[in-house]
Amino acid sequence: MSTNFFEQQATAKKSTTWLLVMFCLATVAIVVTVTVVVAIAVSATPGDPNAPAAYGEAQSPWPLAILAGVGTLLLILGGSFFKILALRAGGGASVAESLGGVRLYPNTTDLSERRLLNVVEEMSIASGVPVPPVFLLKDEAGINAFAAGYSPSDAVLGITRGALEQLTRDELQGVLAHEFSHILNGDMRIGIRVMGVLYGILLMGFVGQLIFRTVAYGGRSRSNEKGGNNAVMVILLIGVALIVLGFVGTFLGNLIKAAISRQRERLADASGVQFTRNPAGLAGALKRIGAAQAGSQLQAPNAAQASHILFAEGVWKNMSGLWSSHPPLAERIRALDPSWDGVYPAAGSNARLIASELSAAGALPRSSHKTSRAFSHTSPLAAGFAEGSTSRSAANEVPLPVVDRAIEHVGKPTQAHVDYASGLWPLLPDSVISAVREPYAARAVVLALLLNRDATIRTQQFHALSGSIERDVVRLITQLAPHIDALDTRVRLPLVDLALPALTSLSPPQYRQFITAFRTLAAADGQLDLFEWVLSQIVIRHLQPHYDKAHPPSSGRLRLERLSEPCAVVLSAIAHAGNSDEKAQHAFAAAAAVLPHVSLTLLARPAAGLPQLRQALNAIAQATSHAQGRLVDACAASISADGHATIEEVELLRGISDLLGCPMPPLLVDQG
Amino acid sequence: MSWVIVLAVVVGVVLLIAMYAASIYNQLVSLKNRFANAFSQVEVQLKRRYDLIPNLVETAKGYMAHERDTFEAVVNARNAAMSGLQQASANPGDAAAMQALSGAEQGLSGALGRLFALAEAYPDLKANQNMMQLSEEITSTENKVSFARQAYNDAVTAYNTYRQSFPPVIFAGMFGHSTDAELLRFDSEAIAEAPKVSFN
Repeated sequence: MSTNFFEQQATAKKSTTWLLVMFCLATVAIVVTVTVVVAIAVSATPGDPNAPAAYGEAQSPWPLAILAGVGTLLLILGGSFFKILALRAGGGASVAESLGGVRLYPNTTDLSERRLLNVVEEMSIASGVPVPPVFLLKDEAGINAFAAGYSPSDAVLGITRGALEQLTRDELQGVLAHEFSHILNGDMRIGIRVMGVLYGILLMGFVGQLIFRTVAYGGRSRSNEKGGNNAVMVILLIGVALIVLGFVGTFLGNLIKAAISRQRERLADASGVQFTRNPAGLAGALKRIGAAQAGSQLQAPNAAQASHILFAEGVWKNMSGLWSSHPPLAERIRALDPSWDGVYPAAGSNARLIASELSAAGALPRSSHKTSRAFSHTSPLAAGFAEGSTSRSAANEVPLPVVDRAIEHVGKPTQAHVDYASGLWPLLPDSVISAVREPYAARAVVLALLLNRDATIRTQQFHALSGSIERDVVRLITQLAPHIDALDTRVRLPLVDLALPALTSLSPPQYRQFITAFRTLAAADGQLDLFEWVLSQIVIRHLQPHYDKAHPPSSGRLRLERLSEPCAVVLSAIAHAGNSDEKAQHAFAAAAAVLPHVSLTLLARPAAGLPQLRQALNAIAQATSHAQGRLVDACAASISADGHATIEEVELLRGISDLLGCPMPPLLVDQG
Repeated sequence: MSWVIVLAVVVGVVLLIAMYAASIYNQLVSLKNRFANAFSQVEVQLKRRYDLIPNLVETAKGYMAHERDTFEAVVNARNAAMSGLQQASANPGDAAAMQALSGAEQGLSGALGRLFALAEAYPDLKANQNMMQLSEEITSTENKVSFARQAYNDAVTAYNTYRQSFPPVIFAGMFGHSTDAELLRFDSEAIAEAPKVSFN
């Protein structure tokens, strides 16, 4: 198993490519078969006696056969593209809704929902992706979960009521780590393509039935026409051929789908355990599935279609393992817990633990889990927080080896990162936490992050703002501003991630009003610093897919060598940030050394301004994910060129990395 | 052979219509889910508001011992609104449930308004720290309620507009989306909508 995020992305891409090749081969085979069948059928039937002689004997079977072939081709491709587009446009939310999911809001007062959302928030911050919207399948008693969407920005998590009620916090964490791995490994994109491809073949079979029925029914009324009879036979044959091929195609397609799905599930189990370093949690959840009466089954009628995105087998199957979308339960448990004796725990045997976790969550909403964890890590970073308040200069430094190896952790969060994430809570005042979970007030939090420290500019900003958003929100920003100003740099990026679930529950008109206010505020600043700008871009990047049907570009195929100009802009902007011109030269040179094959020259400060940077980042979206990773690596080299890296610089690195689609976990002091 | 082409065209057209109808169906379902989900945010906020009221009554009771009727009216109105909310959350968008909820909410606002008006006469109560905090919280919750309600109404409007537009209107009835969802209006808009002016 590979441990590198970029390799993982590449593998995911390869298996999609493989899938598409298989699909193309299947389509070609089907089209050729249809053409040949039609050609044989036409030449086997005697010519039309009523037709003019010249037309009768010499009639070639090929025009009709080719027509049928082209029709089939259009049908399959059209159906697939239609389905893929529909799935992409709807995003993860529409998949969750089609399974009967109800959106859970971050301001919920229900304790078990709160516990779940706490786990989700921590894992998001730990992996550096936006906190996804969570959907609860209220009517499902089985234990199951899923991740859906096209990219981390529009990903959603779904979980059944059974899982919410019957799993302990560690087990929930195991399940969610598995789902986060799907998000980070790029499995959701594969899922959407698989669904689309199968739909095309399915549609062909459906059309075959349609033709067969229409002709078999309509043909009877036509049977008095002698010539028509032959044609009817031909059409019937085409119909039957389409039905048979559709059946065989779906059959084989499901085999391929199941094989890919099983492989991705094994991988998600493995990377989920890497994430939590707690195989017992995931294994425990799988054992609960084995123990529970309802197992992992879903009642929703659409469950079969979504079977490959679920945590565990969602539809009951009385078939051999070849068709299972998941490896057998016992095999998955044994992989995590080799000493397992094959006996499932009694259902409900963890009820007391869950109850105590929930009551603890009620008493101590934020750090409750610390007491309930089966094992606890004393993270060196937690000590770092304490130090930070006393000796700031020491805590403000991040050791260079950590920065140099930052890239290795992209998409590969660990338990230490989760501990870090839960360690961030005490740095956030209660008023900010409750505000950021409230759709109404989350706007104020995000806007307050964009306020300039300079009092005059800030007054201008408030002035500009008063026209574009409700007065009460402006008042709320004024109240929150002192708290936000005092925030540690390390929590600014996580705060943006935390605000996203609340912000994505705005209605489209509310969203547009918010974005207008957001842009107004940024414009009134006149000179956003690079980190504030990056934060604002992150907000837009992750919000847009929910409203504008714009997709954050998935990585493309270009190599960095062909993107030397945009790379130079990004690296120059970073080199200039907080550096004198002389030092910038040095920082840029260090970055250029990481990319020896790209011709890079340091641009002057104005040529690497924010508008240029935006264009550059858009251009780099066309690069392969591996290339983007190398660029992030070069950025890291740039910030550590002067012999030290501050937390501000490191958070900037994480922000840029996010904008390049490489979710970078927080950099931990002890990880070098 | 010519009618083979006719048949192919017919099949193609039927197929296109079927796919189009399927996409309309999906869109209707997803718009409906969206406003139902938006309603659950209204529910969160209203519940919070209802949870604050007993505290408010408890605090005020100590100062306004003689206003028992007002307290009773507030508590009753709150309970009525609670049950209205329960029914509304069971089927959001249902006209009767939405109107019942908005009626109950107006009753509650009226009762609360009377309580606050009476409280004006009790300077000690007004100066009470707890009371000030509670009334501040109630006000800010009201802002959140109206924000969530706006989101719900936007979602309902999107659903209704789509449902009534052509061509979805042809299929909407067939797919079980034959009635408009009901907007949620509270007092202020009700007044703005039907001003009762008399010139006698």
